[in-house]
Amino acid sequence: MGMQGDFLQLLKEQGYTLGSPAAGGAGHTLTNATTILAFKYRDGVLVAGDRRATAGNMVMYDRTDKVLEIDRYSVMAIAGVPATAYEMVRVLEHSFKYYRRTQLQELSFDGKLRAVSKLLKDNVPAALAGTGAVVPVFAGYDVEQGAAKIYFYDILGAEFEGAEYAVSGSGSPTIRGILHYLNTWGPQPLNTLPEEEAMVQALRLLTSAAEFDSATGGINRESSLYPVMKLITGAGVQTVPDATLKPLFESQVVRYV
Amino acid sequence: MYEEPYRWVEAVGNRRQYLDEQFKQGSPVVALTYDGGILLATVSKGTPKLYEIYDRLALAGMGHPTDLEKLRFSLLEMAHVEGFNRSPSDVTGSRLVKYGIAPVIKQAFEEVYKAPFIVRILVAELGSKQEKDAFLTINYDGTFEETTARAVLAANPAVQVKMLSYLKENTPATLSLEQGLDLALRTWAIGSLAHQQQDESEHQTGTESSTGGATSSAAAVPNSDTLITHIRGTAGERTVECAVLERQAPGSSKYRPLKSGDLSRLLPKSLQSVVAG
Repeated sequence: MGMQGDFLQLLKEQGYTLGSPAAGGAGHTLTNATTILAFKYRDGVLVAGDRRATAGNMVMYDRTDKVLEIDRYSVMAIAGVPATAYEMVRVLEHSFKYYRRTQLQELSFDGKLRAVSKLLKDNVPAALAGTGAVVPVFAGYDVEQGAAKIYFYDILGAEFEGAEYAVSGSGSPTIRGILHYLNTWGPQPLNTLPEEEAMVQALRLLTSAAEFDSATGGINRESSLYPVMKLITGAGVQTVPDATLKPLFESQVVRYV
Repeated sequence: MYEEPYRWVEAVGNRRQYLDEQFKQGSPVVALTYDGGILLATVSKGTPKLYEIYDRLALAGMGHPTDLEKLRFSLLEMAHVEGFNRSPSDVTGSRLVKYGIAPVIKQAFEEVYKAPFIVRILVAELGSKQEKDAFLTINYDGTFEETTARAVLAANPAVQVKMLSYLKENTPATLSLEQGLDLALRTWAIGSLAHQQQDESEHQTGTESSTGGATSSAAAVPNSDTLITHIRGTAGERTVECAVLERQAPGSSKYRPLKSGDLSRLLPKSLQSVVAG
């Protein structure tokens, strides 16, 4: 049994369950709300997310990290209940490592996608009870095929390939339209954008989302609060430091009238 | 018949003899700290002998591959469940060994109706600083030893002592990866030559009893050329297998096997011929 390298199965054998539904949870205001986005650019995928966590009209925290590195080549951006989402990321992180170390080879990209689906499926009761819905975007670089890939999910675990871009969270309807417009009628398709321009677009998109969605945190220069942004290329996942985002934001996102 | 205490002691004694016999043909393993982390090196034939266990833990083994696999899986299981349920920093080599596999190995060794594990195991743990790097070696009877700076696996204690003293004498104040690799392979050769010599001298004393002098000369440390020739002689049918735990590696997993490209970059000219491919 253990020879298959399935970490979740191992946990379950020891009595672990992910996200058991809490009765009457629907009445409570839970921490959630977000804008996350992922799109393909010239060198790979860019994944970014705002940093606000809210519960109803309360801002719980303004420095949340919603773009989480699972391994060297994959990232999960999370929208929904953070408690469940963080737990899922922890399970995935350990699952991929456990698979690699036991089987002495990397889990395939498709195998990683299935692992995400399986977790979401296990989480359905909690999601429907209103205490643990998570709507992630999974992005990564398929080393074997040499291609960047983006997938998004619904709360039941259905997996959709977002060919060029994917969005999730309360602020996402605003920017979904912008992404569609940019990609279809913009000066150039998103997947041909060079790195710096891709970063500028991501900053603009998140700023737009924050403009129309109170649950999405904007960029706050006074407290040097910038979104979390990660680039995934053939060289692996790389986090864009605030020092890079700051000048881009100041020169190309802020409008001085 | 093992109910009688004497029989049991005798059976365990036989077991020791049998197990000692199993490691004679084995390839030694060398582990040492260098300025950037821990280096593990051996020369393997077919099945690999070095493995990743957890973020900062590596495993090396001698003995039967299937037994090693069994123990490797239980180490992996324990490490990952603990790392998930508590935190990665709670996964320590010493806990995994002392409360995890050492008791299992001891029990298998003493249950004379069942098969023992034919293994000698080395667990290397990368600390936050070089002083905190640690090594654990476990014998087939479940006894373990904790050391710092260096550790080896070999067919018997005499060879281990020989290898360790060579390592100690030849370790400078700071050791780069290149120097460490060179030193590790030379130490491997010390052990491997000692295995050969012991094997030969046993054969000789078995057939003719006139070569008592040959065994005493085997105790001398072979010179550098002999060592290099011995390492070179292994190329072809065997492969040099090396791995590092790198303190500065990006991400949480610090283990990295050295591929033939890395080896040809790191090895001295005199040993280039051992790189496969």
